[in-house]
Amino acid sequence: MKRYQLIIFAVLLFLMNSFCFADSKELNIYVWYNEIPQSVIKKFEKETGIHVNYADYNDNEVLYAKLKADPNSGYDIVEPSSYFVSRMSREGMLQPLDKQKLYNFKYIDNAFRNPNYDANDTYSIPWMWGMTGIFVNKQFFNPNEITSWKDFWNKKYYNQIMLLDDPREVFNIGLLTLGVSPNTNNLADIKAGYENLSKLLPNVKLFNSDAIPSIFIDADATIGMAWNGDVYRAQQENPNLVFIYPQDGFVIWVDCMTIPKNAPHLANAYKFLNFLMEPENASKVTMVFGYATANAQAKNYLPKAMQNNPTIFPSDEILKRGIFQTDLNNQALQAYAKYWELLKLNA
Amino acid sequence: MKVISRLFLLLIYAFLYVPIIVLIIYSFNNSQYSMLWHGFTWAWYQQLSSDSDLISSAVNSIALGVSASSIATLLGTLCAVSLYRYNFKGQKLLYFTVFLLILMPDIVIGTSLLILFSTANFELGFFSLLIAHITLCLPFVVIVIYSRLTTVDENIFEAALDLGATNSIIFKRILIPLLTPGLIAAWLLSFTLSLDDVIISYFVSGPNFQILPLQIFSMVKLGVDPEINALTSIIFAITVLFVLISHFSLRKK
Repeated sequence: MKRYQLIIFAVLLFLMNSFCFADSKELNIYVWYNEIPQSVIKKFEKETGIHVNYADYNDNEVLYAKLKADPNSGYDIVEPSSYFVSRMSREGMLQPLDKQKLYNFKYIDNAFRNPNYDANDTYSIPWMWGMTGIFVNKQFFNPNEITSWKDFWNKKYYNQIMLLDDPREVFNIGLLTLGVSPNTNNLADIKAGYENLSKLLPNVKLFNSDAIPSIFIDADATIGMAWNGDVYRAQQENPNLVFIYPQDGFVIWVDCMTIPKNAPHLANAYKFLNFLMEPENASKVTMVFGYATANAQAKNYLPKAMQNNPTIFPSDEILKRGIFQTDLNNQALQAYAKYWELLKLNA
Repeated sequence: MKVISRLFLLLIYAFLYVPIIVLIIYSFNNSQYSMLWHGFTWAWYQQLSSDSDLISSAVNSIALGVSASSIATLLGTLCAVSLYRYNFKGQKLLYFTVFLLILMPDIVIGTSLLILFSTANFELGFFSLLIAHITLCLPFVVIVIYSRLTTVDENIFEAALDLGATNSIIFKRILIPLLTPGLIAAWLLSFTLSLDDVIISYFVSGPNFQILPLQIFSMVKLGVDPEINALTSIIFAITVLFVLISHFSLRKK
């Protein structure tokens, strides 16, 4: 009996070792669902011989909790959104990037360099970006009558509007229509935003952030707030959908590639980042996903119809109304949580 | 009255099975996002067969489920037998701590295991998931086997001892054959628990071992891909096959 135990123990030990001292020809990435197409990863594996372990999430909080709970979780590349880049870098969860090694950084669009959420691009490389605007199904409403968020408050949209199920996104509307910056930490402003949104509630049909394209396509909701890429993909199946950039401003988010502290395969991570910044590879995400790439040259690799599609790439004039989303302080976050709960209770 | 009771039964079964049937129907729907019917297609099954990423996480999940439920069934059976047949110090305590685990919320098990693994510097991956899933399944195995044991006539053991059987022979020749249906039930229950666990797995999964439930979970925001419908339909078909085989093979005996 003793001998059997020994053998089993030895085998287990051997197996664990083979996992612990994993081959250095490996790379562990943890990114937003769908934001790095499989074809790009396959190509990278083929060119470099590095095996990529790919995992994905659908919420910044999921990534944040995972890294916070286990700082040695072994990921080499993670992809927080802009305002999470500032939170995670402030809390020492990311490591500064070595610009010397990122020879392809030159392809990044100037508009996305040195952003307010990450001064001097210390921690992050902008990868993909999008905007929250208004979608309208023109079979049901006239898109020309809706030009700004303020129009949502019009009585004729009683019980029609879809809002995203996300406190930051919804408060952005409440604040923008008051002429206040959506990045405000001022508690009085946040309260005013809440009171403003309370008046919108009779017009709200649903709060939802799941399976969005199918709701647009099947006309379960015909007017509301939406991310531009979702509308672009839904337009491929339902051409009646229109995306509108509101006159009173809109929020731009950027999903960024970063390297977390304690990343075990640093050299491979830099190789992969340079590979992603190759314009042709960067163009693939827009092809597959319908969101804009932050790579200035990548646009040239897209079909003309996509390059000129205003739902994906708005004109510079429209972009001037966009505001980058930044992180809030803890007091403001608590206020958001409180008022969000009240809002949903009254809905 | 009879009509009402029939109707009630029908409603209960409809409640349980309609969602699964809907899912299977949608796996043949010719549209990426829309929930309306756009005609019949095999396209998602074809796409699935070339999606190496999804298939590898499905294989990982099944490998994990098979190993976790086998080990849990083995350990759980030993635990249940010792709880039932022998008297020892701390038996009551052991009994209650096993049952306590069933009531324990997944999130508590998940976070505490993660803290344990990270303080012990144990790399997250297949083995951390395996240990976590064994922990998850073990109490259910114990319950199933224990309740099966309570139906066994205790005199059998005394008779066997009288006839000169040793404890190991009793275990091999009497307990195991009597427990077989319970063992199969416990194994299948564990396998299902392991296959669809999201919360615990989220905490203890590592970068180099991706499993199916977590991958499906991350797709929700975009609308679950019809490929997933195809994959889950296949898994459902295999499950039905499994259950049918075990049903008929047991009935013959």
